Amino acid sequence: MNYQEAKDYLLQRAKDMGLELEVLATEARKLELDSLHERLAKTSISSQGGIGVRVITNGKVGYASTEEKSQEALDWVITEAKENAELQTSSEAFLPTGKNLGKSDLIGEGLSAPIEEKIAAVVGLEHNLRQDQRLKSIMMTRYIESESSTTIASSNNLDGSYRNGFSGVYGVFVMQEGESVKQSFDIDVSKEFYNLDPTVTAQKMIKNAARALGAKNLQTGKYKAYFEPRAFSQLLGLLQFMLNGKTLLEGKSLLADKLGKSVASKLVNIIDDPNLEKGLASRPFDSEGTKTKKITLIENGILKSFLHNSATAKETGQANTGHASRSYKSSLGVGASNFYLKEGAGIKMDKGIIITDLMGVHAGVNPISGDFSLQAFGLMVEDGKEQQAVENFAISGNFIDLLQNISAIGDKIDWTLFAGIIGTPMVEVSELSFAGS
Amino acid sequence: MLNTALVEKVLKLAGSNGASFAELYVERWRKKSMRLINKELKEANSGIEYGAGLRLFYGTDVVYAYTNDLDEKSLLELADTMRKLKTSQGSVDKKGAGGLDFRKSGASGLHAPKIDFSTEPKRYRMERLKELDDGARISPDIKQVEANMLEWEQDILLANSEGVWVEDSRTRSRLIALVIAEDKEATQTGFSGPGLSVGLEIFDIYNPKDIGKKAAKQALTNLKAKKAPAGTFPVVIGNGFGGVIFHEALGHLLETTSVAEKVSVLSDKLGEQVASKTVTYVDDGTIKNAWGSSEYDDEGLKTERTVLIENGVLNSYMVDKLGGLKTGYKATGSGRRQNYSFAPTSRMRNTFIVNGDTPKEDLFKGIEFGIYAKNMGGGQVKPGSGEYNFGVTEGYIIRNGQIEEAIKGAMLLGKGPESINKIVAVSDDLESGPGMCGSLSGSIPTEVGQPHVLISEIVVGGEA
Repeated sequence: MNYQEAKDYLLQRAKDMGLELEVLATEARKLELDSLHERLAKTSISSQGGIGVRVITNGKVGYASTEEKSQEALDWVITEAKENAELQTSSEAFLPTGKNLGKSDLIGEGLSAPIEEKIAAVVGLEHNLRQDQRLKSIMMTRYIESESSTTIASSNNLDGSYRNGFSGVYGVFVMQEGESVKQSFDIDVSKEFYNLDPTVTAQKMIKNAARALGAKNLQTGKYKAYFEPRAFSQLLGLLQFMLNGKTLLEGKSLLADKLGKSVASKLVNIIDDPNLEKGLASRPFDSEGTKTKKITLIENGILKSFLHNSATAKETGQANTGHASRSYKSSLGVGASNFYLKEGAGIKMDKGIIITDLMGVHAGVNPISGDFSLQAFGLMVEDGKEQQAVENFAISGNFIDLLQNISAIGDKIDWTLFAGIIGTPMVEVSELSFAGS
Repeated sequence: MLNTALVEKVLKLAGSNGASFAELYVERWRKKSMRLINKELKEANSGIEYGAGLRLFYGTDVVYAYTNDLDEKSLLELADTMRKLKTSQGSVDKKGAGGLDFRKSGASGLHAPKIDFSTEPKRYRMERLKELDDGARISPDIKQVEANMLEWEQDILLANSEGVWVEDSRTRSRLIALVIAEDKEATQTGFSGPGLSVGLEIFDIYNPKDIGKKAAKQALTNLKAKKAPAGTFPVVIGNGFGGVIFHEALGHLLETTSVAEKVSVLSDKLGEQVASKTVTYVDDGTIKNAWGSSEYDDEGLKTERTVLIENGVLNSYMVDKLGGLKTGYKATGSGRRQNYSFAPTSRMRNTFIVNGDTPKEDLFKGIEFGIYAKNMGGGQVKPGSGEYNFGVTEGYIIRNGQIEEAIKGAMLLGKGPESINKIVAVSDDLESGPGMCGSLSGSIPTEVGQPHVLISEIVVGGEA
């Protein structure tokens, strides 16, 4: 069966069995090209997809999915989903009322280019990286492109699909100067292949990585911190967790009971905009078919809203913000789209530490307590000027305190991909604890 | 999963443009999971993952493709597309005229489950997970108990142009407790998550109540914990999952993925002293029913016990097929991948430091002020610089040789090769624990382990 046939089959079976059913199917195509020693060393192509169902029976919800589109597999999916639903004690589940949402195309011809040009882009990136004398070795330089179509349909008249994609280049490489060795990872992504520029990207990557060479240990103490976007976006990933309606519902959000109250410095405005033009995470509707819209989550430091899907909205009694998120393999969740910290009036650096990158965020942060202790890399700042690079230190504290201690925000947003698709300017934190030697 | 004639057709077509090697990997997973919060089922999910990965070598150049469409027409189309991707004409292989003559082998059942998943209904699992919840209710400060069960069944077929044909089955189960404790001042968490290559006997091997209790105790300890101090101190690292430090600081640097291109700081160091003499480090894919075990790796080789470091001297790397071609080292049965959507690379299986001879108590003696990192969370490493970090999930202050108050929020960090040389004593109480390791070929189950070890100094990230 193809996806259309499988979808129709599942909806018909559900009808026969007296079940409410929602289908989410994704088909993706991917291309990866690796350059090594300035020639194409690895090519990877794929077509992958699957079908996931959400089934409601007597107000109970169950899930199942398959990548195999045989009738046997589809029957297994319905049976499993029904069985999974019947285990539930709560009987409050429902499928939102749907409508025809049509077809959207968010990528168009953005990836159309001869494969030779894509190979040239990644070989060019490697070549340009190698121009720097301090480059020691290259682990990987890769061109990647992905396009996917997501279709949703339900027994409640939902029907819609959209196509999205991106292309990008990235590099993992090691630089050395004297005894100092640093590994760096950097990526450049666009929805238009022709916007990628391997020469500029390579120069930017080298410049970023080289700043860390010759780093010295940092003295333990409290310093003013200047977070660059790459570093701060990883902390904002933690804020996404706390603003997630499912986190809230499960009693894991530190921001529970804080609606309408101050949760951050007055300078902080957090926004999620699923309709941002060229936004990598833009989407016309969420994964249960709710139309998406821009929303302010934190305004001048005051918590205005959490992110919700239909189920978390109903259970918390808050408004559905259209942030249902689900892959065909997963159960219904909540997810941000283009999530960003709004730009501020700018930062005038005096004395402190610029934090250029963080490491080990999955291990060093407790998202439930907000406590963090993270390996960081950076540069000392004296009299407003970048000085010595520093290493072998950790920053620590509680994320809520850190949000309250934000004392200035830069005037330009950078979009990063290190913890989801997150935009942030540079951020100044008035005091932070640094553990070094 | 596919018949011999089709596999042969696909391999021969894919390899007919001068490929030096062709490999077809087919797999089907059945995964089930359930998650309870405070004894109430939040989600149950079931899934079939099904696909094929086709890999071609041209010397050390690689073409990889994968798909979920495994009918004859789709597979042959894919093979043809791949063949045409390699534009280097003129070296068309003529030897593909004969048959492939597969030498077929299959799993002997070494890690087969004793109690098959189909033996008990879903409600049985729910009841056992409720026992986990009961076990965790040891204090009024326990606010929430989350109980998870994962069950995975994976069947693979691996065939290649060298005549290898391997079918293997892998079954894995994992129970996870996440406990939240809360008092007037703070909210803290505790975790326990044993996993093995077994079926439903996991409930007999681990009493669910004990899993809940262990996580609850950790949450309560953290609730009373003070902020970790910041600075450089001697650190005793606990046994079991404490071995994650070596996984990060040493294991990843010994995979040919980072050795072949000389990215790893431990490249070209075979026979050299790379760790203190007290350290012997082993990666073993053959341990019966261990979380990271399998009979064959994902390139069709038998797994083995690989001694990586013996008394501080580097003895072997972890070598996959492509890594072996690039370095000349013999493959060690270490080719692994998350699923068909990744080409395999060299990965760890069950990796641990073997027992030393220092009694555990002696590790603490003589420490005036230090840290006891009893339980660890995850970590991360950059193989090119050796820089690593990992989080302490349960820690204590050591004062004058005694374990004293609990601390929270500690992060241990450093440069792998330097820290390894600072291991001054290894105890004799080896244990292991399961984890998921993410790298180039995806996220795979691996076990980490060690006895208690003493590191003379390490940077502790805490409150300044």
